[in-house]
Amino acid sequence: MGELTAVRRAASAAVTLALVSVVVFALASTLPGGDDEDEGERRLPADYRTAVRAQFHLDEPWHLRYARWLGDLSRGDLGVSLREKRPVTSILRERLPVSLALNAAALAAIVLVAVPLGIAGAWRPASRPDRLLALGTTALYAVPVFWAALLLQWLFAVRLGWLPLFGYAGPAHLVLPVACLTYGGLAYVSRFVRTAIVEGTTGEGGRVARARGVGPLRFLLVHGLRQAAIPLLTLAGFLVPRLVGGSLLIEEIFGVPGLGSLMFQSVLARDLPVVLALTLLSGTVTLVAMTGADLLAAWVDPRSRRAA
Amino acid sequence: MPRDLSVVRTGAVLCAIVAVTAIAAPWLPLDPNRIDLGRVLEAPSLAHWMGTDGLGRDVLSRLAHGARVSLGVGVGTAAIALLIGLPLGALAGYRGGFWDAVVSRAIEAVLCFPALLLALALLSVAPGWLSRLPETARLAFALGLVAWTPTARYLRAEFRRLRTSEAVLAARAAGAGGWRIAVRHLLPQGIAPVLVTLAFGAAAASLAEASLSFIGIGVAPPTASWGQMLLEALRHMGRAWWLALFPGAALFVTVYGFNRLAEGLRDWLDPRPLLR
Repeated sequence: MGELTAVRRAASAAVTLALVSVVVFALASTLPGGDDEDEGERRLPADYRTAVRAQFHLDEPWHLRYARWLGDLSRGDLGVSLREKRPVTSILRERLPVSLALNAAALAAIVLVAVPLGIAGAWRPASRPDRLLALGTTALYAVPVFWAALLLQWLFAVRLGWLPLFGYAGPAHLVLPVACLTYGGLAYVSRFVRTAIVEGTTGEGGRVARARGVGPLRFLLVHGLRQAAIPLLTLAGFLVPRLVGGSLLIEEIFGVPGLGSLMFQSVLARDLPVVLALTLLSGTVTLVAMTGADLLAAWVDPRSRRAA
Repeated sequence: MPRDLSVVRTGAVLCAIVAVTAIAAPWLPLDPNRIDLGRVLEAPSLAHWMGTDGLGRDVLSRLAHGARVSLGVGVGTAAIALLIGLPLGALAGYRGGFWDAVVSRAIEAVLCFPALLLALALLSVAPGWLSRLPETARLAFALGLVAWTPTARYLRAEFRRLRTSEAVLAARAAGAGGWRIAVRHLLPQGIAPVLVTLAFGAAAASLAEASLSFIGIGVAPPTASWGQMLLEALRHMGRAWWLALFPGAALFVTVYGFNRLAEGLRDWLDPRPLLR
């Protein structure tokens, strides 16, 4: 891929990131208790009110506050949590590894299950197994994740007692949350792999390879799966935000002390600095993932190298 | 090759079942909000086909009324997504250049956030006009403000592709103005993928409504919503299977129906045999 394209892609990502930060800040400054006073606030003594507003710089116009927030941000200062009364960065440092472990396990599980399913479907396109696989995975995709969580909790934790119901104290606690985060993505990823393989094996290149006498399995894996690499990379970029959003509910339901449940509780408690930090973090991670996937896909794909 | 309509048909039938349930809900004999503490957590019977909940309310009636909320939010969100996404996508695809860059960055910025997270933030922030709307409309607005990106993206791509087509050049040569070309020539040809994204969007919105109600930010009690009913099922886990089974199944049918409808439409409108 040409360096110029990479630079342009990165530059447009930077513009988007700036836009993201404005959106986040705009959302945050309309939070109740931010700009305008409400009933409860008016009952406080006037001098106390002024003091509090000055402490949180609420007496300044929004563009000054935005600049101040950006300035703090650039020094790595995300403010202090209103709920826990300690720096947001230290809270994030505690919870990030938990969410990373959960989401990495889910991403790995999706790939490990969906790629073989996709290969199986591509083995004989439009055959009965292929149709059944497609039907099964699309049905799974429509199963509401919190319902599945409920049923799995009831079956494996309450009824059978094989797995812990709730909390986070070891790998066994991750099994049900990971299962919940995995099944919905199977349809997408397996369909992607299948279509890419079918397209790779039915095209000109496929016919040539067959004529050269390449065996069926080798043909499928080498000639087909290689074609799937690019769409899979793009897909991985899109899966990241899906997982982040999904783990919001799942972490809360299973009591996993990660970023998802933190976001959930902070929104409910109107803990502004934490909500801001988390929204910005998830936006940044997603943007980096999508841009990275684009760049990687372009790097893998010889066609786009020339097109650049 | 003959076009396979079975997938569209499955989706349409499932959606129709949910729609009929939603429309018929007010005529059901039992009041969804009538509390009967003498008949708490009763298993399905002839009097209560789907049993009763923790307050003795009829689950079937609540399910039917929940269909109104679910479908209302699903369709409402799709409508708002269309209202925002259509003009933006058309503008970016047709004009290109500066407008394309603006719209594309905006799409990317919205895509950066998990939809549920942004809707959650919007709902908890809830500016005055938003919080004064009726519940279904409020949820549809919050979700629609996030859900317009696929509509805009697909329409942009279609308009870009069609802008230089011979039909459009011919129309331009015949003296048609920009508006006329966009509305009469580009839109009819480019709308197909948008319809598909709208059906997918309705499925996602119904699911999001249930998720938000499940965590207590969506529809407020006593209005019946499937997400809320599932939250109640959580409280009676292991004691009342009917509380978890029926609302979950209803949600599944709705989401699956919309998804099938979308997939069927996509295959039907773009019959490349490979994607079958």
